Amino acid sequence: MIRVEGIHKYFGTLHVLRGISLDVEKGEAVVVIGPSGSGKSTLLRCINLLVEPDEGRVFLEGTQVNRADIRREWVRQQVGMVFQSFNLFTHLTALQNVMLGLTQVKGISKDVAATKARQLLARVGLAAKEHAYPAQLSGGQQQRVAIARALAMDPKAMLFDEPTSALDPEYIREVLDVMTALAREGMTMIVVTHEMGFASSVASRILFMDTGMIIEEGTPDKIFHHPEHERTRSFVDKILR
Amino acid sequence: MDTAAPARTERPRARLVTPTRALRGAEIAAGATLAILFFQEFLQFSLFDPNLWLAYGPIFLGGLGGTVRFILLVIPISVILGFFLGWARISRHRVLVWPVTMFVDFFRGMPPLVLVIFAFLFGDDLIPQAIKDRLLAGIPLRVVSVTAAALAIAFHSAAYQAEIFRAGFQSVPMGQLEAAQALGMKPWQAMRWVVLPQTFRLSLPPLGNELAVVIKDTSLLAAVAGGEIVSRSQNFAGTLSISGYPVEWLFAIWTAVAISYFAATFTVTRLLLVLERRFHTPGLEAVSI
Repeated sequence: MIRVEGIHKYFGTLHVLRGISLDVEKGEAVVVIGPSGSGKSTLLRCINLLVEPDEGRVFLEGTQVNRADIRREWVRQQVGMVFQSFNLFTHLTALQNVMLGLTQVKGISKDVAATKARQLLARVGLAAKEHAYPAQLSGGQQQRVAIARALAMDPKAMLFDEPTSALDPEYIREVLDVMTALAREGMTMIVVTHEMGFASSVASRILFMDTGMIIEEGTPDKIFHHPEHERTRSFVDKILR
Repeated sequence: MDTAAPARTERPRARLVTPTRALRGAEIAAGATLAILFFQEFLQFSLFDPNLWLAYGPIFLGGLGGTVRFILLVIPISVILGFFLGWARISRHRVLVWPVTMFVDFFRGMPPLVLVIFAFLFGDDLIPQAIKDRLLAGIPLRVVSVTAAALAIAFHSAAYQAEIFRAGFQSVPMGQLEAAQALGMKPWQAMRWVVLPQTFRLSLPPLGNELAVVIKDTSLLAAVAGGEIVSRSQNFAGTLSISGYPVEWLFAIWTAVAISYFAATFTVTRLLLVLERRFHTPGLEAVSI
């Protein structure tokens, strides 16, 4: 479904990604962990080409997408993204947030888009909040609207960039529940998170990244309980404590 | 006032002279003095003296027409120009940012009165001869020069408005732009559907302020006898004694002028307030003055 081959990314002189390769099967949920600054977010952004890799290739269903002749907007429609800071559109209600991509990007009529948006809001448990503005929603509710907004585009895969890191503890559960349900339904997902419970129960694989490289990968049990590398062990020790 | 109230209940004897209170006192004193002065003059030399309006009425209306015309010229030009200058100032392209910054710095650093005089005297020299021959043929030089002076006021305000709109653009978090892109929007779509609606809402309150300023700045065209209400009233006032009219009409004339400007600024700021309420969005409240 998603394949990444030897990508490198530089920000000025900073070498953020140093030859990352990754293959994610359809229906797989991959969790990426690692210290801040290890390049996790940049890796996700290279997959939907919000950030252009300087070297290497990105494939979506077998097609290389970081080519000049492929429209970036098309690629991003195929891959949904959820951000740490929600990034809902402040001037739009929950319903309008979910509808905007449908009406403006997909060119769907307002009525059809509204029906679909309502279904998605119901799916994330927010049917009653369709007229609320982001400022009137809790962090957890905002993030669930953001998930519905991304799902509205019928993405083939979803990228989650620390979706619960900005949330108050009491709201983390509701967001993780939505993500877990999504994974169970067979959505292909790459999730940057340090929620170990979620990673253990949902992830088919965990990647540990540090200094722009994938240091180690394996099942949750292997990474959390039997890591091979010293760097993995010391990081896991820190977050499991 | 809400700071003064608890102070009074807690310490009833201490007369706290807070800056707010002192200001309030001065305000009341000034208001009372003005009211007394006003009514004294008003009773003696009525604003409703039919003879005054027989002589001054056409001049007043002509001047009012002139002022409204200048306002209708200056506001759209300054808003449109200010908007695009503000937009250009946040551009990634240095070629755009540099000249726009120069424009803003220059016009903000000039007193509008000086700009008016310069534009009136030398503005028409800046117009290429070809345009003068083709488009401005038959238009008197005076009209061209006064229009140039009005444009100078528009440019001066545009420089301020550029800063208002720039702040409006920059208040939209980058993350929302990223989210729009992540949905597959093209840059212009993200601009149209995500950034501009928020810039618009955030810019309204400071824009109302600036429009009130620019309306009043059109009075500076009196310096070049622009034919607006101040210059025409000034001319009329200067001939009072020669024409044998009572000199005391002065008060009524300038009261009428003052009320005109108040009405114009009040109308425009209220209109913007209506817009502001109409587009009110929780989470997008800018500080309103």
